[in-house]
Amino acid sequence: MSFKKFALLASSVLAFALPAVAVHAADQTYVVGAGGTYRPFEFETAKKELVGFDIDIIKAVSKASGFNIKLVSTPWEGIFATVNQGDRDILISGITITDKRKEMVDFSLPYFPADQVIIVGDGPKVTGLADLKKLQVGVVNSSTGDIVVSEEIGKNNVAIHRFDNTPLMLEELYRGGVDAAVGDVGVIKFYIKSHPEKKFKVVGDNKFTRQYFGMAVQKGNKVLLDKINAGLKKIVADGTYAKIYKEWFDDNVPTLPLQ
Amino acid sequence: MFSSFHWQIIEEYLPLFIEGTWMTLKAAVICVIAGTLLGLVLGVGRLAEARHGFYKYFLRYAVQLPVRFYVSFFRGTPLFVQILLIHFALMPLLINPSGGLIVSGDLAREIRSQYGAFLSAVLAISLNSGAYVSEIFRAGIQSIDRGQSEASRSLGMNYLQTLRKVVLPQAFRRMLPPLGNNAIAIVKDSSLASAIGLAELAYAARTVSGAYARYWEPYLTISLIYWGITLLLSAFVEHLEKRYGKGDAR
Repeated sequence: MSFKKFALLASSVLAFALPAVAVHAADQTYVVGAGGTYRPFEFETAKKELVGFDIDIIKAVSKASGFNIKLVSTPWEGIFATVNQGDRDILISGITITDKRKEMVDFSLPYFPADQVIIVGDGPKVTGLADLKKLQVGVVNSSTGDIVVSEEIGKNNVAIHRFDNTPLMLEELYRGGVDAAVGDVGVIKFYIKSHPEKKFKVVGDNKFTRQYFGMAVQKGNKVLLDKINAGLKKIVADGTYAKIYKEWFDDNVPTLPLQ
Repeated sequence: MFSSFHWQIIEEYLPLFIEGTWMTLKAAVICVIAGTLLGLVLGVGRLAEARHGFYKYFLRYAVQLPVRFYVSFFRGTPLFVQILLIHFALMPLLINPSGGLIVSGDLAREIRSQYGAFLSAVLAISLNSGAYVSEIFRAGIQSIDRGQSEASRSLGMNYLQTLRKVVLPQAFRRMLPPLGNNAIAIVKDSSLASAIGLAELAYAARTVSGAYARYWEPYLTISLIYWGITLLLSAFVEHLEKRYGKGDAR
């Protein structure tokens, strides 16, 4: 091939390639994992679309920060392994930030204040965590509730019934298979509101410290973490966060510790 | 590779693994016995027939047909689905503090709370296994030469006596390998009960892997334990085969 033809070929290839590279860099798409069984944070509609408070937050953050996302329903069991193995880039699934989990993944700044609560029926008398010692207690496996109850009554105690997801745990509570259950206040209050006939009540305890939900990324992925945090700060500052919160919960929009 | 395993997380949860092994053994023994007895009844029922008279149609439609339907359902639906169905749908009907069909009141609450998952799992696995074992019995009975039952009938024994004294004892030797298979399957199927919160072996592994996000250590551990249990079971079945096979030339 003569030099002239070669130059023509090379430049036309570059002409197609360069814009594609430029477009690709601006439209980075990250795979987001969210569980589908955690109303109102994330759940699936009849058409198998993921919706919920968490979903709205990650969509807003990605828009504010300038990246695309692809939502993939991800079961809770083994969810942290999915970011570390590269199957997911970001996790947003009502995940409470804990020290043990910080060893497995890196967390964004907090985006929701989470408290654990005990939910009981109108049978046993429960005023706090200590009363759980003589009862059968349901939790979601490896959730914050699991961690708290394991600390209280012993992690090897077979009175702890661990389930794959919150709906199963709550169903077991309703059917009397456990006397009480421990979970996130947002999810539990939403459940009680949607099932008034079941006469549940919520019990708090001083030992339940204020915690926060965070988004998880692979350990060491500072680039993505910075993008997420930047997006989060932006949506808090411009009022998008407040709007989303009011849509799913109530008007008491919390102030997030975004330092 | 093995040096990077964190075996201490198994040590931390050792009581759960021990409790889990015990629970798996308990459930397996009960289910094997219940499933075999149920399978015997169903297998005989499946083959019940009469040539003439009232019993011809009675046996065909009131005994054989329900058995075939039962076997078809329990073989045709996944055991996992059966466990969830029985635990969350059937048991609440039967054992309910407010108007259960079998047990109500405080006793029901007590049972549901302490033994709910265990009862559901054992019931589901026994019913499921009964369906499979019934086919084993059917095959075993049908494999015995017709001449045996013809001879015993001509000696004056009735249908049930023939079955009990001539056919089943001979069939038993032939059914031992598939029955042993079924028992091993039950031991492993019990792991599905971890989904309804029964604290058996797989539950212990899921708890540990949930707490630490490590998968080699807990799952390798329970694999070895399950393998050990099934090895013992196979050895026992082999022993039975040797003992009861003395009549066979093979």
